[in-house]
Amino acid sequence: MIGNDIIDLNLACQESNWQRKGYLSKIFTATEQEMICHASIPSDMVWLLWSCKEAAYKIVNRVTNIRTYNPAKFSCTLSDNKEGAACGNVSYEACTYSFISRRNDNCIHTVAVSHDIFLDHLDIYTGSSLPVHLFSDKSLIKNQDGVPYLLNRCTYSPVPVSISHHGNYVGWVQKKAILTCAENATYRP
Amino acid sequence: MDKETLITQLREIVKPYAKNEEALLNINENTDFVNDLKINSANLVDVILDVEEQFNIVIDNESMERMLNVKSAIEIIEAKLGAQ
Repeated sequence: MIGNDIIDLNLACQESNWQRKGYLSKIFTATEQEMICHASIPSDMVWLLWSCKEAAYKIVNRVTNIRTYNPAKFSCTLSDNKEGAACGNVSYEACTYSFISRRNDNCIHTVAVSHDIFLDHLDIYTGSSLPVHLFSDKSLIKNQDGVPYLLNRCTYSPVPVSISHHGNYVGWVQKKAILTCAENATYRP
Repeated sequence: MDKETLITQLREIVKPYAKNEEALLNINENTDFVNDLKINSANLVDVILDVEEQFNIVIDNESMERMLNVKSAIEIIEAKLGAQ
């Protein structure tokens, strides 16, 4: 299972006043609030942690089909955070989800996975519009709960994707090496 | 406080964060904050803080979990006001 979240930092700055009284304590754990407090750029830490929670929430929501709003229950730990790249994990109830995150001047894009092994097998796209080239021979569909899948037009096998939009940015992640129609014809497992 | 009054107050609260004006205009008990009003999840916390301020109540994490639509918001506000 995969989940991703993208944040347009310019828009986040306009839309949210995270310095508002009570804001941080509603959505971040005490440890996370300390991380924000001690960060060299606190707003970057706010949005990094927020994107991790959102990416992990998307996995949980995908598994349970239950929508909830309790970001503080998703507890983030950073194992590395430098030069625009971060990684770590998010704990929620009995589960832990690893994440990787990339940042540039304008956006933060975080991808979380249910199992570490997936981290090496992902196509991650960060851009300003949907990566049509990634699904030229497939159909993008959503199930009844609004969860997106790519459907191979030949085999009808569904491949889970996670899509995130915010402001000027689109984040997209899917499992690597999806067989195309042509590849599939000669594929022998 | 009757439901209509509560919905009117909620409409004013969510107004700055709602991105779907038509849904805001037609807000009712079945309106979903995220799916219908297109409120950003990072702004849901603003809605919760605004509700707390407006009604002078505290919304605990357990209640917050359900604060995704008008119906739940009304139930939570009514329960908190009733408990005062």
